[in-house]
Amino acid sequence: MSEIKGDEILLRVEKIKKHFMPHLTLAQSLAAGGKKRVVKAVDGISFDIKRGEIFGLIGESGSGKTTMGKLVMKLITPTEGRMFFEGEDVTFLEKMASKTYRTKVQMIFQDPYASMNPRFKIRDVLTEPLIIHKIKGSRDERDAMIAKALIEVKMTPPAEYMARYPHMLSGGQRQRVATARTLILNPKMLVADEPVSMIDLSTRAEILHMMKEVQRDMNLTYLYITHDLSTARYFTDRIAVMYLGRIVEMGKADDIIDNPLHPYTRALIDAVPEPQTGKVDIVKELPISGEIPSPANIPVGCRFHTRCPYAKPECSSLPEPELEDVGGGHLHACRRYKEI
Amino acid sequence: MKIKDFSRALAEFWTEFRKSASGLIGLGILVVSLLVVIFEPIILPWRDANTKWRNIDYWIDNSAGAPPAWTNLFAKEKKAVTTRLESPGRVESDMEGGGKLVTLTFPYSFTADRAPLDLIFRATINGDVPVTVNVDRPDGTSIELASHFEQGLSNQGIRVTVNNEAKDSTFAFVKQFLSDETLSSMSSGTLEPANIVFSRADAAMAGKFAALKGDYKLVVKAMVFDTANSSIADPFFVVSGSASGILGTDDMKRDVFSGLLAGLKWALLIGIMTSAISVIVGVLYGITSAYFGGVVDSVMQFIYQVVSSMPLLPVLIVVSAIFKPSIWFIVMVMVLFFWTGSVMTVRSMALQLKEETYIEAAKALGSNNRRIIFRHMLPILIPYSFASMALSVPSAIVYESTVSLLGLGDATIVTWGQILHDAMAGGAVLNGVWWWIIPPGLLIAVMGMTFAFLGFAMDKILHPKLQTR
Amino acid sequence: MDSILKVENLKMFYHTSKGAVRAIDDISFELKAGETLGLVGESGCGKTSMGTSILRMPTAPGRYESGRIYIDGQDVIPMPEKDVRKSIRWEKIAMVFQGAMNCLTPVYTIGRQMLETLHEHREMDDKQAVELISEYLQLVGLPSEVMGRYPHELSGGMKQRVVIATALFLKPKIVILDEPTTALDVIVQAQIINLLKKLKSTFDLSFIFITHDLALEAEVADRLCVMYAGKIAEIGPNSSIYGARGALHPYTEKLLQATPLLHKKVDNLSFIPGTPPDLIDPPKGCRFNPRCHKVMDKCRTDEPPLIEIEAGHQVACWRCTK
Repeated sequence: MSEIKGDEILLRVEKIKKHFMPHLTLAQSLAAGGKKRVVKAVDGISFDIKRGEIFGLIGESGSGKTTMGKLVMKLITPTEGRMFFEGEDVTFLEKMASKTYRTKVQMIFQDPYASMNPRFKIRDVLTEPLIIHKIKGSRDERDAMIAKALIEVKMTPPAEYMARYPHMLSGGQRQRVATARTLILNPKMLVADEPVSMIDLSTRAEILHMMKEVQRDMNLTYLYITHDLSTARYFTDRIAVMYLGRIVEMGKADDIIDNPLHPYTRALIDAVPEPQTGKVDIVKELPISGEIPSPANIPVGCRFHTRCPYAKPECSSLPEPELEDVGGGHLHACRRYKEI
Repeated sequence: MKIKDFSRALAEFWTEFRKSASGLIGLGILVVSLLVVIFEPIILPWRDANTKWRNIDYWIDNSAGAPPAWTNLFAKEKKAVTTRLESPGRVESDMEGGGKLVTLTFPYSFTADRAPLDLIFRATINGDVPVTVNVDRPDGTSIELASHFEQGLSNQGIRVTVNNEAKDSTFAFVKQFLSDETLSSMSSGTLEPANIVFSRADAAMAGKFAALKGDYKLVVKAMVFDTANSSIADPFFVVSGSASGILGTDDMKRDVFSGLLAGLKWALLIGIMTSAISVIVGVLYGITSAYFGGVVDSVMQFIYQVVSSMPLLPVLIVVSAIFKPSIWFIVMVMVLFFWTGSVMTVRSMALQLKEETYIEAAKALGSNNRRIIFRHMLPILIPYSFASMALSVPSAIVYESTVSLLGLGDATIVTWGQILHDAMAGGAVLNGVWWWIIPPGLLIAVMGMTFAFLGFAMDKILHPKLQTR
Repeated sequence: MDSILKVENLKMFYHTSKGAVRAIDDISFELKAGETLGLVGESGCGKTSMGTSILRMPTAPGRYESGRIYIDGQDVIPMPEKDVRKSIRWEKIAMVFQGAMNCLTPVYTIGRQMLETLHEHREMDDKQAVELISEYLQLVGLPSEVMGRYPHELSGGMKQRVVIATALFLKPKIVILDEPTTALDVIVQAQIINLLKKLKSTFDLSFIFITHDLALEAEVADRLCVMYAGKIAEIGPNSSIYGARGALHPYTEKLLQATPLLHKKVDNLSFIPGTPPDLIDPPKGCRFNPRCHKVMDKCRTDEPPLIEIEAGHQVACWRCTK
């Protein structure tokens, strides 16, 4: 179903960084000798997302993928770098401009239940964006807009759901409502942070399917953030694999999964369980050991070298490898990709 | 919000509220209280209890520390109940040598086992009008109790008490029945005239009181010599019994029930005003502090700590000593200190709320700070606010009474706290004067409970998640 | 192989104000020694209830209605609580609860928490206990200095290892694992799975592995038990369900189709419409009938029995009885 994507770049992220300074007590900062442990959640990331594309950001917890999502959402401001949306610099925005930006870029959260005020009925949840952005209208006109959005996400008949509270809905229905809320303002781009990880497997596909349909209907662009490679392959056009605040590999979803270049991507792929028989008695060979280091203490050189089975002294002594294009838009950041 | 939407929301709220029994009880008590406040002028037994609570003269005809009238139901020996005898039979006849003799007859049916403590005649007199007070007893005897004459009155009240003015006359009456031997050990000074009036007339009269039950007539004769310039008006008798009213009297002869009734509106006012204003201030303060964080939070927390570590009482004493304490002033000062009560809890709740995904979602939708605070955070804190209000209502009432204890209360009104304080000071507990101490205490508790019930019921409705349990 | 656990016609209902929730409704199965039985299904279909029921500690207001649970040949349902605590729970059968790794007390060190658990069940001095703890920590791949750390200093994977080590202290024969890897990243998940396989052979354990992830189940479960709405829909060997034979019950079939495959690009994943039924008043006939894509008239009226299609492969579906 690969459609023809326009070449217009909707969102461009340039060398963006987000460093958090931890709040220290006086005693702690004295003990640290005046040096603050900086948490480098996002540490120099660049990518483009084209209009109408579904772009996947893959990473483990602690990789900085959620921080990246918040940066795009402008819930936090970057420490360094720039961000362009529809060609305009949106790195720092005035109050009004940021409000306009929010009508264009919307977010779907991991836990749909938590993302809705539990005291709000579905009608109130969906009316909120209209109130915030002062979209005038009588109650009936607004109800009509809400109904339209609910129909868009296949919640029919809409009137039946409007009077309910979020806790009266199933997980899948809640995520539909959360999606409907973002659609009311006719956004251009949706940031979806693990939108299906809290949803039952049986309905996961249904939600992803719905999101794809909505994307086609409204010509949306998605930034899909997940740790789950399987849904990413099904759902996205392009994937960027993040490790400790950096992109280590980026390219078309099929290329990345069928032909991974970076050892980290390989490890991720190998670790995914597959519903096939004959694996019960096998202890899986994992190419990497240990766990992701703390983003407050990033290894020198290639940041993956501490866990990399192919690491050589040069990996830690030479400066960090930059992303390199091997053709077909497939980028990777491994010096030794040819050897492995 | 449009009126239509509001009324719809209210209707929804009511449908839910109706399901809560305790909520309905709370609401019921509150409504009854408000009705009582509205109809207070009609219900109040002592009309001027509000203005003359501290006026000893206003209460002088009552007996001190009299238990409630209904305690007779459980008592072996019935006590005479304080009664006011009004509208007497009035007969006017011409006197020889001019003027009129006004005869006022007050029938009194005595059925108790204990005599009243006193008989008091009151009237308003203009000019020179001597009066005599007599009693016709059911056994046919009659006693001329006292004669009273004050010259040159101009519409002034007279007060004739049998206890003070009928000692000699009752002694004379007693003499008829007693032996000389008994009499020699007696004097008019040791007699209790009211006891004699209602006692059986026999040789045992000087001993234990034996009631002569039946219909008595209290006859007052007033001689109006100069009909043009003299007159007697508004005559009435007070039979000052040893049981009185719905809730008895205190040591200062005040009617406890009237005091409590008059205190209700102040209790509501002090409690609701103080707690509502201080909780609103405290909640907004706590949310603002938590929501903005950083420097704002640090400064606000510093102010909070300074205020909350200042003791209220010494400040109240100093300020009350300088200014004249009115009830409004006390409420204001209490608010100045009470608002800190909810700040810490609200701040910690708000710090948690701030991290909720739906707050982040609202921000992602472009919501401004005001909307997030008022639409998303405040409603979650409303149940807590009501609980907090319910809790500070009684403490506000008690604080007011503490202020009264120090003589700094508003002396122009009567509050439950003051009644309770007077009771404590008057040794009500030691003397077993329970009717002075239980009712005000109970009312303070009931008021607190009322608000707690309302708070819990609202909590259930405003927390839709709880409904599913 | 001998069966180490046998559940017979077990019924366990939660008695709520709205009525009895039939969380476990007439379920029978057995677990053989050394076997891993996978328990799968959507959330709210009774998986976790099954786990706590076997442990003889159904969450309030749950009550056993009927049936038997034999652990090592002994029916544990009528046993007094004291005896269960003394000789069954944690001694013969242990459970790693869902999210247990997030339930470690934040104010005590790992060592202290493990020590307390140990002291509750065994009389031993601190020195012996510390030795034992460090031995078990090494078994789960953690250095013994973890004992002196606080939970917040450990990663999710390390905490899960601690929880697993704690469950194994008393040398149980059966371990129930309730979603032990759900909150973990794929690589850590694979590490934990490998660890569990290793521990299983070291200690000769039997597992009941509860998860909603069919792909994961394929890598651990010898046999798969698919639960739907408090009942067993299908129970069969790994080789048949994931192999050429395939799933027999439409529910299992759909669940498998809904699982996205990493190495196969599909345009449309299938899904199961609707939500699991309310267990206070479950649908008549087959409980899956309102969501089933192969529903027949009979499914709406009669409840299908669990019947054996092949050796060791049972299914409760009218389509399979013909």
